[in-house]
Parts: sequence; structure tokens; C-alpha cells
Amino acid sequence: MPRSLLWSSRRQFLTGSLTALSGTLLSGCGWTLAEVRQDAPKVGDRNELRIYTWSNYIDQVLLEEFIGQTGVRVIADTYDSNDVMLGTFQAGGRGSIYSIVYPSDYAVAKMIDLKLLAELDKSRIVGLENILAKFQNSQYDPGNRFHVPISWGTTGLIYNSEKLDPPPDDWDYLWQHQDKLSRRMTLLSEPREVMGASLRSLGFSYNATDPGELKQAYARLAELKPAIATFTTDAWRDQLLAGDLWLAMGYSIDAVLVAQENPKLKYVVPKSGSSLWVDTLVIPANAPNPEAAYAWINYMLQPAVASQVTERLLFATPNAAAYDQLSTQLRDDETLFPPDSVIERCENLEPLPQKAEEMIEKYWTQLTSG
Amino acid sequence: MSSQVSTSADKPRTALVGRLSSWLEPLALLAPAGVWLGLLLVIPVLLIFQLSLVPGIRPGQVVNPSGIENYLQIVQEPIYLRVVLRSLMFALGTTLICLVLGFPVAYLIALVVPKQWRNLLLVGFVLPLWTSSLLRSYAWITILRPTGVLNTFLKAVGLPAIDILNRPPAVFIGMSYSLLPYMVLILYASLEKLDRRLLEAAADLGANPFQAFWRVTVPQSLPGIAAGCLLVFITGLGDFIDPELLGGASSMTMARLIYNQFLGVTRNWGFGSALSMVIILAVSLAIALLLKYGDRSSANL
Repeated sequence: MPRSLLWSSRRQFLTGSLTALSGTLLSGCGWTLAEVRQDAPKVGDRNELRIYTWSNYIDQVLLEEFIGQTGVRVIADTYDSNDVMLGTFQAGGRGSIYSIVYPSDYAVAKMIDLKLLAELDKSRIVGLENILAKFQNSQYDPGNRFHVPISWGTTGLIYNSEKLDPPPDDWDYLWQHQDKLSRRMTLLSEPREVMGASLRSLGFSYNATDPGELKQAYARLAELKPAIATFTTDAWRDQLLAGDLWLAMGYSIDAVLVAQENPKLKYVVPKSGSSLWVDTLVIPANAPNPEAAYAWINYMLQPAVASQVTERLLFATPNAAAYDQLSTQLRDDETLFPPDSVIERCENLEPLPQKAEEMIEKYWTQLTSG
Repeated sequence: MSSQVSTSADKPRTALVGRLSSWLEPLALLAPAGVWLGLLLVIPVLLIFQLSLVPGIRPGQVVNPSGIENYLQIVQEPIYLRVVLRSLMFALGTTLICLVLGFPVAYLIALVVPKQWRNLLLVGFVLPLWTSSLLRSYAWITILRPTGVLNTFLKAVGLPAIDILNRPPAVFIGMSYSLLPYMVLILYASLEKLDRRLLEAAADLGANPFQAFWRVTVPQSLPGIAAGCLLVFITGLGDFIDPELLGGASSMTMARLIYNQFLGVTRNWGFGSALSMVIILAVSLAIALLLKYGDRSSANL
């Protein structure tokens, strides 16, 4: 991919786009959309670390303890979807202020592909050996050269165990009990996850690219659609707690939170398999403060820190030493830490070829415009 | 002789300088806004237009305008037309609801309520705009859900419950609630200027109150009605929070479709730009119509 124009300031961007515009109009030769900056990292403030993360991985205690240990002040910005985060980086500019980002598995692969990430210098990282073996060598980044896993979980069904008897155990349940669940269930607002669920219910892979398989999966969803209340990633929580919804497709870390408020809400990973996601720590290629970034990674890898933040914010740590320090109640929570037999049934979401992505996007638009 | 020549030559020069300085002042006054509009409106729109001519462009690819496939895609796929129609339906319906609800309120505040209460009432009406629109949508979920505030109330007074959350009526409710203050403010501004002597004259000439309202008040406030409707329509066309949160499983609108093209799975910025251009054109057309017919109707008065 040619990367001819490098924007380093807004003014340069504007003059650049002007010249590019007149250039294209005059000669027909192209400029490059949404340039990724490739220039040398500029030296940032040594005592400031900007991180870009999901809102549920950060709290004030964590930031204050980090200042106490290292003297580095952390400014955290949050995003609510990998696609938004990727958009920030691909559109250039604002992406270059961050030294630590928390992408999920397939987003890591995309960022590696786009050469947005710096390869980690493992000699500067302490405590990597505590990461569970199953997370040491990932499909999306072989050899974990660019990332450190920080949290993981599954996608599944959160349901009201008082209302649903027998309880759901597989994706098929949705179709079998379509009448009973009519307008009482929600699916995620994530095209890949929803298509994946339908694909798995048909016995195909979450990462299927075959047009025939995708078509079947869409047809099956279209059949289910009249019964679906809405597609939402988090607006289901209150309604599930209030009893207006009986079942929601969601992530395990969200399931833990609602189950704390109402123990009758249970979580299940469907029998035919689901997606296993991993959120990670990475350092962008042009991070302004790589020193502090390594300090942050090492800090998050300390077993005591990792276990305390896991207790506070309730996510599943891939750090074995931290797991051992957790309370028994949390360790035995199968929603957060499902047994290996469940994990074996799950797949990582992988980046798809453009053609399959286009099909999924089109099916999604069809599905949601009814 | 030479002095004569110079004076005759001076005349057009001073005239030229005079003309220049008469241009210079407005130019200097307009320059900041002009530069602002040029850099932040005209150029971006041109860039979007250029992108819309590249079939299927994604971030990181070379922009090389080659054709109108992106536009053809909108027209050829019935699915996208349905999305466009749904957006128009939501925006038009909301405009209508806001007009019907907003006109009596604006009339009341401008003409009936004692003067000292007016500002307080107006502020009260605008107050909801100070909260986040996301928050307002979530509030409507709490109100409209099957066991929510509305249905609890209906049950208490012995009426049957209604299930409208995740259906189009919920979107109309949410959007109208968000946009009503704009309509009321604009209608208030136009009704406040109403010439009451004309109403008295109408009464003198034997018109009953309804006739006076329909033939005097409404025509006088037509420019305000047009401006209010336009503002609500344009804002409604771009709203994606209310359809997304309240509309249920079949609530894809233009704004959400564009969002998905830029930040969703495929990241097809070319197609997203083409959809954006369609919205920009539709809105520009609406404004052009308003300028043309809005003026004429006020001239008719």
C-alpha cells in the first residue's frame, strides 16, 4: 500500500488535502485515504502516559497506584468498540497520542496488518511467564510478538432462569422456543457475533467465508428476526433485570455484572460453540512514550495488581499467578472462568477477506432494515 | 498641460480606489467566516464528493475517482431504498408531530401567557436540551418498556398495557421529544411578532376566532412554520441514537447506515461518502426550496 502523504499537523493536512485535491483534479493520480503516520515517534512528556482503553478496565485506584509506583501520570480515553478504536488510528492524527491501547484479538491482527504496532521487546517485560499457556501463542498474533493478553471471555446467552425452563443450552434453543421468546430476547449489535452464532448453530465456523454458508446463516437469522426485540450490545441490562427481557446474547463480563444484581440471571456458553475473545495490551508503532508503556505493561502483569483489579472490575485475568490470589468465590465463577471443555468449543474471531466482510455487512443491513 | 493630464487620469484612479475600499470593508468582515466555511465546510464536502466517486475505497487505499458505482448501488439495491424511505418517514413524521404539538404551545407562550412568565416558560421548554441525548433515549426505554413507568400507570388506571418499545412509535416519541424545543422556539419567535391589530380588524369585519386564526395568524407565521419544520426535519434525518435505541430490530436509518460504512465491519468509505452526499443534497434542496418559497409566502402577506 503506497503511503505517500504524511500529515503531521492539521495545517499540513489541509494544505496536503488541497494539493491532493487539485492534484487529482488535474492529473487523475490518487492521494491516499486516511493516512497512517509513519514518521519517527516524537518525544513526548516523560511523565505522562496516554492510554486508549475499554471503559471497564480502568478505575481511579489503578491510576493512582501507578503514579505512586512510577511517578507517571496516566490519562485514559475510552472507546466502546474495536471498530471505533481502529477508525481513530486509521484516520491518523489523534491516534498518535496514545502509548498503550487495548485492542481485542482480531483488531490486533488488523493493526499488525496495517503496521500500526511496535514489536514488543520481551527483555523489558517482567512476568510474562505467568500468562496461561493457552494464551501464550495466539492465532491472531503467532508468538505473541506484538501483544500481552490482559483479559478474556466468551460470548453466550444471559437468561432469566425463573422464566426459562428448560434453560437454554445451545443457539438452537432460540429457534426452538421462538414463540415463547418473542420480543423477549435481544442479540448483540455486532454483525460478526450474530452471524457467527447463526453459523455455529448450523455447524459452520464463526469465521466462515463461504458465500453459501453465509447465505444459510442469514436465512436462519431472517427466520428468527420477528422474535428479536432489538440488536443491542448493552441496552439489555436494565430490561433483563426488570424482567421485560428473558434472554440476551452478551459477553461473559457483562453477565457477571448483572448476575451480581440478580442471581436468577444465569449465563451459558452454547453447546455448539461460541466466540472466545481476548483483550490485549499493545504499544502503537509511533507511541510518544514507550518507556511509560513498558512500565504500564509490567505494572499490569504484577500478580497482586492484576488480581486486585480483577476483583474490583470483575473480568477474567489470563495471569495464572493473579488467578491464584483471587478469592475462591471468584475463582469458582464459571461465567468468568469456564472450564477448559467449554473453551475448547470456542473460536477466536479472525479478520475476514474483504469479500466475506462485504457479504456480512450487506446481510446485516438487510436484517436490520426488515 | 501635464497637470491637466494628471488630473484627468487621477479621476478614474480615485474612483477605483473608492470602489476598492467600498469592497475592502465587507471583504475584511466576511473573510473570517469565509475562510472558516471554505476550510471546514466546502473543502470537506468536496473531499467527500471525491471519495464517493471511488467504488469501495477503504482506509489506506489510493483515492482515484473512477465512477458512480457507489451511487448506482444505492439505487439498485432495494434494501438501501427502504432505508432511505424509513429515514424520511421518521424525519417527516417527527416534523409533523412537532408542528402539531409545538404550535399551540408557542401560541400560548407568545400570545396568551402574561409577559413576565414567558421567559420562564421558554427556559423550561429548552431545559431538556441541556441533558445528553443518549440519556434522554435511555429514559424513554425506562418509560416505555413493558413493565415501565407508562404501563404501570396505565395498569393503575385500569387501561390495557401497550407494547411500543422497539417499534416505530417509540422512535417517533423519542425524536419528537428531542426536537420539540427547536420547533417551539422558532414558532415563538415568529408568533411574538404577530400584528394583533390585524386580528382585531378581522374580528371587526365579522370573522369568527377560527377564521381569524386560519386566515390571519397562520399565514403570518408561515415563514416561522417553514423554518421550524426544516430545522426539525434536517436534525431528524441525521438522528441515529433514537432509532438505534428505541426502534427495535428493524430500525436501520441513513445515519446509522453511514455510521456502519465508516466504522463498521466493512469500512467502505466510498459507499459511506455516496450516502452522505445524498443526505447533503437532500438537505441543500430542502433549504433551497425554503429560501425560494419561504420568501414568497412572506411577500404575499
